[in-house]
Amino acid sequence: MSDLTTSEKLVIEPTFTTPEIIFDPGNRKFFIGGNSYPENSLKFYGPILQWLENLAQRHIPQPDPFILEVRLEYFNTSTAKVLLDLFRYFESLHEKGQPVHIRWIFLEEDTEMEDAGLDYQAAVKVPFELVPINEESA
Amino acid sequence: MAVSYEHRLLFRHEGPLDMEVLPHIVRSLDKLLVEEGIRTPLRRKIISSLIELAQNIIHYAVHSENQPPLLSLSRSDEGIVLTAKNLVYYSQEIFLQSYLQNLTQMSRAELENLHHNTLTSGSYSDSGGANLGLLQVLFKADKFDYELTPAEGEHSWFTVKAIFFLKSHE
Repeated sequence: MSDLTTSEKLVIEPTFTTPEIIFDPGNRKFFIGGNSYPENSLKFYGPILQWLENLAQRHIPQPDPFILEVRLEYFNTSTAKVLLDLFRYFESLHEKGQPVHIRWIFLEEDTEMEDAGLDYQAAVKVPFELVPINEESA
Repeated sequence: MAVSYEHRLLFRHEGPLDMEVLPHIVRSLDKLLVEEGIRTPLRRKIISSLIELAQNIIHYAVHSENQPPLLSLSRSDEGIVLTAKNLVYYSQEIFLQSYLQNLTQMSRAELENLHHNTLTSGSYSDSGGANLGLLQVLFKADKFDYELTPAEGEHSWFTVKAIFFLKSHE
């Protein structure tokens, strides 16, 4: 992952402890899903944050929004912190004129996950939608 | 403070703990708790807490072949009891005593505030942690106890017991 560039999409396959990542700026779709409790979250997310930093620096704003969908099951507290850093890059893109929409997807009865989403919603200055889903469609 | 173990045991791991073992524990426990009829929100609270306690052990505990860490899950009338026990250095004991004494005296609003501040402006530990693990467990559990007891040499046993009520999630 040391050679990440923003010229093509970023795809990272999921493992038991790390999420699936699909960042596709060409199609304006970004996705993080699955579990995220790596031994060292900074080590895992560091290159991803670097990739986003490059994108934020080089990207020329377009009218259609970037959609980031986050659909996590288990994530540890260090991931929680890294996610905020990650959202900051989307905030930075938004500030530069690129519309951004974050969708935080969670099981409708999972109040912990809903609260986590509400915390992020309050902390970042981009449209941040909480999307409850039921267990059958999860 | 005494930690009681009089419960129906659901799971017990006493032995080396690393990031190879942890995902297997998480998957097994997820399945086991489904079989126990524990609904998703509570199941996620319990397993998220277990992940935090296990990763604290992996990152910070004294690694001793003769005195390995313990993780267990049991069911009592009160709810699901998650226990983590591991060796720590005396210097860690001093820190934990002070840190947890402070945390356990905080109101929910103060805990929320500390969590928010650490999340938004705190720094990462050397191991990439957010220094939020124990706070998160205390936050998620309906009851939280801990004890630090002498062990051999310059070590102490650090035991955390987090109880998750079943009734409040039915």
